[in-house]
Parts: sequence; structure tokens; C-alpha cells
Amino acid sequence: MAELVGCFAASHGPLLLREWEAIPPDQKARLAGAYAELGRRLLAARPDVIVEIAPDHWSNFFLDHIPSVCIGVGEAHEGPPEPWMKAFPHRELAGDPGLASHIAITALENGFEPSLSHRLKLDHGFCIPLLRMGLRALPRIVPVVLNSIEPPLPSLRRCLQWGELLKTAIASYPSPLRVAVLGSGGLSHSIGEPTMGAIDEQLDRECIRLFSAADEQLLSFLERQLPLAGNGTAEIRNWLVAHGAAGSRGFELVDYLPVPAVIVGCGFAAWQR
Amino acid sequence: MRDYWVSKLFFDLQAPATAAEFRANRDAVLGRYPIADEARKAILENDVPFLAQRTNAYLLRYYFFATGMKDEEFIRRLRGG
Repeated sequence: MAELVGCFAASHGPLLLREWEAIPPDQKARLAGAYAELGRRLLAARPDVIVEIAPDHWSNFFLDHIPSVCIGVGEAHEGPPEPWMKAFPHRELAGDPGLASHIAITALENGFEPSLSHRLKLDHGFCIPLLRMGLRALPRIVPVVLNSIEPPLPSLRRCLQWGELLKTAIASYPSPLRVAVLGSGGLSHSIGEPTMGAIDEQLDRECIRLFSAADEQLLSFLERQLPLAGNGTAEIRNWLVAHGAAGSRGFELVDYLPVPAVIVGCGFAAWQR
Repeated sequence: MRDYWVSKLFFDLQAPATAAEFRANRDAVLGRYPIADEARKAILENDVPFLAQRTNAYLLRYYFFATGMKDEEFIRRLRGG
């Protein structure tokens, strides 16, 4: 049977690449250290496959069709389409159709209805953490696109349930794979709205604290606060998926720092095993 | 509210070649989309608050990034400045 060998989460954002050199040196060092530490832990878990959860930033889907959740079941995925993502060395990333299809089937058998894609483009949301974590030889990737970009968004509770579903699916996959889960996104940020650039450090720190509390407390807090927060903060949903996959055990905070130069409250977490 | 064709233009301008063409000749690119006159005027005048009411915030940012507008100026206009 497959084994879940670790759950992780990390922030992403275009400016973490485009404006890397503009980040103040002390913050840049902390960001680099946090990504490297998360990469070290992920590699130490020796995953054959990473199930990565991230939004689609209008790279695959448009208003014609916006899935709440889409699983990449293809043998391969395309690298990031953004022209400024050329530093990412992989134009194609290997998938794991067997595990991905098993997750999709397990989902359908349990009352979840994901969309499927046999050829996804993995934009910066997927690739910046992989790049910054220094994963030179990438494990196979099962991408899970979770809509946190265009309302209406999947409910927070459903995102937690998706994590639990991933845990079930991985545990029931009849191959001896080592599987890691990586949520990409958050914490607070605001994009393309009048509050653009704002980081809500108080919200971020309370959210981090509540990931160690009961799920109902965490969900209640997020249900109250996310509608008032910057739109990018919705990506905390991807952390909820990792949290659910980890059985809602609290995580170890690798680091958190608000970085105005990249307009993101940057968080890095590894769930306890 | 979503203006489909304004959004489609912004979506398509993520392609560098299309963005370059748009920067060189806005009218030619705009002519391919059945965009209402009021929205077309807003595009030509960089009326950020008007467009913000009609498209996704991420697409809006991508659009103004593609046109070469700096974030500081984009934010100033977003706030009605």
C-alpha cells in the first residue's frame, strides 16, 4: 500500500521570483532558508510522488469552465506558461496517472466530484515552491487545482474534507509508493483590488495558531475572517487540504514573515507525523 | 459582474506575442473582440476602477502588467487616484 510520508505547505507569489533581488537581505535570507528547510524535509521523506494543491491563475481555465477542483491525471504536465518563469528548469513534469486516477475514483466513490485533466499547465502557484525548495530531481507530481481565484469558491470545510479524502485515497492505493502532500499558497495577500499590497499579519498569526486547535475553531475563524481579508488569502484553502491529509495534527511552523516587497504574508509549515 | 469579452481579452494577453501586438496596436487587437463601447473606452483610458467592476482581480492585474503599467501606478488607479 502507498504511504503518506509528509504534509507540507508553502507560500507562492510572482514577486518571489520577479522581485527576488528587491527583497531586503534579511528577509531574503529567511525566505531562502525556509524554502530550503522545507525542501530538505520533503526530500528526507523520500517521496515518489507529491500531491500538490494550488490554484490555477488563469493558466488552464477561463470563464467558460472553472472547476472547483481539478485533478491532473496525465502522464505529464506542462511547465509554467508565464514568460517570467523561465528560471524553472522543467518544461514538462512527470505525473502519476495511476495514483491520480485512484484519487479521482476514491473521490467519486465518496461523494466528491472533481474535474479531471490529462494535460495541465502548472503555473507559478505549483512551481515556485518546487523551484525555491531546490528540488532538482522532481518526484512525480499529482496536481490538484483548487479554485481560490474566481468566486464562488469551494467551502473551507470541503477543503478540509478533500484533505481527509486524499489521506484515505493514498492509504488505499495498492502500490508501495511514498507520497507527500504539498499545499501551495497564502497566507494573507491582496491582488488586483484596492487593498493590493496589504498583509494582515495579525490574521496570519492567529490562523497559524489555530491550525493547532480543533478543526471547528479553525474553520469558524476562517469562515469569519476570509471574506474580510485580501482575495489571495483564500489560498489558505490549500493549507486546509494539507491539514486534512495530515489528520488535523498541528504543524511545525518552519517560518512566517510578512514580506511587503512580494506583497505576501509568507508561511512555511511541516505537519507532524 | 463579469464582462466576458473584456475578461477574454485580458486572458488572451497573457500570451507574450499578443501582449506585444496589443502594446503596438491596441485598436487592431481590440477589433477582434465584441467589447461594448463603454468598456472599450475604459480600456483605452486605463480606467482601472471601471474595469475592476467587470473582471477578475487577477486578470485585471495581469492585463495592466502586460501593458507595462507599474504596480505602484496600478494600485494608485485602483484606489481611484
